[in-house]
Amino acid sequence: MAGFLQQIVTGLGAGAIYASLALALVLIYQFTGIVNFAQGELAMFSTYVAWTLVAAGMSFWLALVITLVVSFVGGMLIERVVIRPVEGAPELTIVIVTVGLFIFVNAAAGWIWTFLIKDFPNPFPGGALELGAVTVNFSTLGVLGVVALVMGLLYLLFQHTKIGLGMRAVATNPASARLVGIRVGWTLALGWGLAATVGAVSGVLVAPLLFLEPNMMAGVLIYAFAAATLGGFDSPVGAVVGGLVVGVAETLAGAYVGFIGSDLKIGVPLLIILAVLLLRPQGLFGRAAVERA
Amino acid sequence: MSDLVVDGLVAGYGDVRVLHGVSFTVRQGEVCAILGPNGAGKTTLLRALSGMVRTRGTATLGGTELAGRSPDTVARLGVAHVPEGRGTFMPLTVEDNLRLGAFVRRGRAEVEADLERIFTYFPVLKTRLKQEAGSLSGGEQQMLALGRALMLRPRLLLLDEPSLGLAPLVTRELFRIVQAINAEEQTTVVVVEQNAHLALGIAQQAHVLETGRIVLSGTAEDIRADEQVAQSYLGYRV
Repeated sequence: MAGFLQQIVTGLGAGAIYASLALALVLIYQFTGIVNFAQGELAMFSTYVAWTLVAAGMSFWLALVITLVVSFVGGMLIERVVIRPVEGAPELTIVIVTVGLFIFVNAAAGWIWTFLIKDFPNPFPGGALELGAVTVNFSTLGVLGVVALVMGLLYLLFQHTKIGLGMRAVATNPASARLVGIRVGWTLALGWGLAATVGAVSGVLVAPLLFLEPNMMAGVLIYAFAAATLGGFDSPVGAVVGGLVVGVAETLAGAYVGFIGSDLKIGVPLLIILAVLLLRPQGLFGRAAVERA
Repeated sequence: MSDLVVDGLVAGYGDVRVLHGVSFTVRQGEVCAILGPNGAGKTTLLRALSGMVRTRGTATLGGTELAGRSPDTVARLGVAHVPEGRGTFMPLTVEDNLRLGAFVRRGRAEVEADLERIFTYFPVLKTRLKQEAGSLSGGEQQMLALGRALMLRPRLLLLDEPSLGLAPLVTRELFRIVQAINAEEQTTVVVVEQNAHLALGIAQQAHVLETGRIVLSGTAEDIRADEQVAQSYLGYRV
């Protein structure tokens, strides 16, 4: 039993990271109806920025703040420069552009920082909390806490600020948002900036657990897709719940299903995606159309 | 004076031209009805005024050019457009929808006061504040759309087929409210409507649009009295 609980705790820690990247995916999907395949690579790039600052002698937390600001501005710039020209193009076109962005950012990171792996500092203390027979690492607690904080801040932004209201309006009805005077173009850019910031958090959280290298986020992105699909691509809450469930499911499957082990764990998100699409395509928290004519 | 002066307005979609030079004037505080058959360009005319389609020609409101500007800029100039299909933000609450109407305004206290003012016109909205807008009935949604438009404190209100899909009783109630708003707020109104009888009931001026041109203009009474017009364009006998 203790072993089982231990696996769940480990799974939640991993899941929180998937949740944060899934959150970034969902943010952009809500605004534009497109899936940003480059989200993981942008997060990786942000993590390199943080690494560079720390390597230059900056304290971790200051480096993090600067990284988040850089990511926000970078996300907005990408929307303005790369996505804007294809705004209104068929979804496939935009998706291909994000795939191109994936390749470009990946290659750029390799060019700037090489493909050699780098050690990334863990911001959380090394000890652990003993809860009976279960051990919870401070770093797991830290990851869960950070993701909860990000969730809380996004909730405040969307539900209790005017900018947030404008962003929700653009996400639901851009034409009508324009008619009430909202600058839709800038709002979309803001959405990309936010998503890049949230993604950067996920990159910085995952880097100490894996090693920092340009392909670091590839696996995480697949789990984040599973998380967003499970939770519903249009639901930030769903993304987080989905992330946690996927993390736990993956860990439990690796530990208890003999033939899966640690090698086949990556198959778990695929199974989850397939099952959700078959049984409940809108996801657990997704919205089935409720409008009246 | 904040008259709306439209002069030689041309508009269309891509290569297809829908409006071929439309000119008319609406004096401040008046209601102007735009009538005409399906496909005449009535909706396009409103879209041209609020910047939703490309235009040539001019349309000024109190001397300020509207034509050729983006919809968000036109809204900031005090033009509220209730579009075809009402433009409701379906998954958002009724309250959010109303607050969005005042998005470009400053002055929290004034906005709160206006919210209360909207409830005097549409008491039903107050009872549904926390409800999803998509769950309202068609009539309630049209009221919400009007309420949202009023939250801008518009100088010019553009209404596209407010009667569409509504029961006759609901429609009459709605037009009564539009008339009250126009009287109390001195808001200039341009209303596009299939139901000519209703629109002429609240308008001072009317224009009949056919294939992108104004074919007849006059006071609401003149247009209503013109039997020829009634038969050819409005589809009813007087």
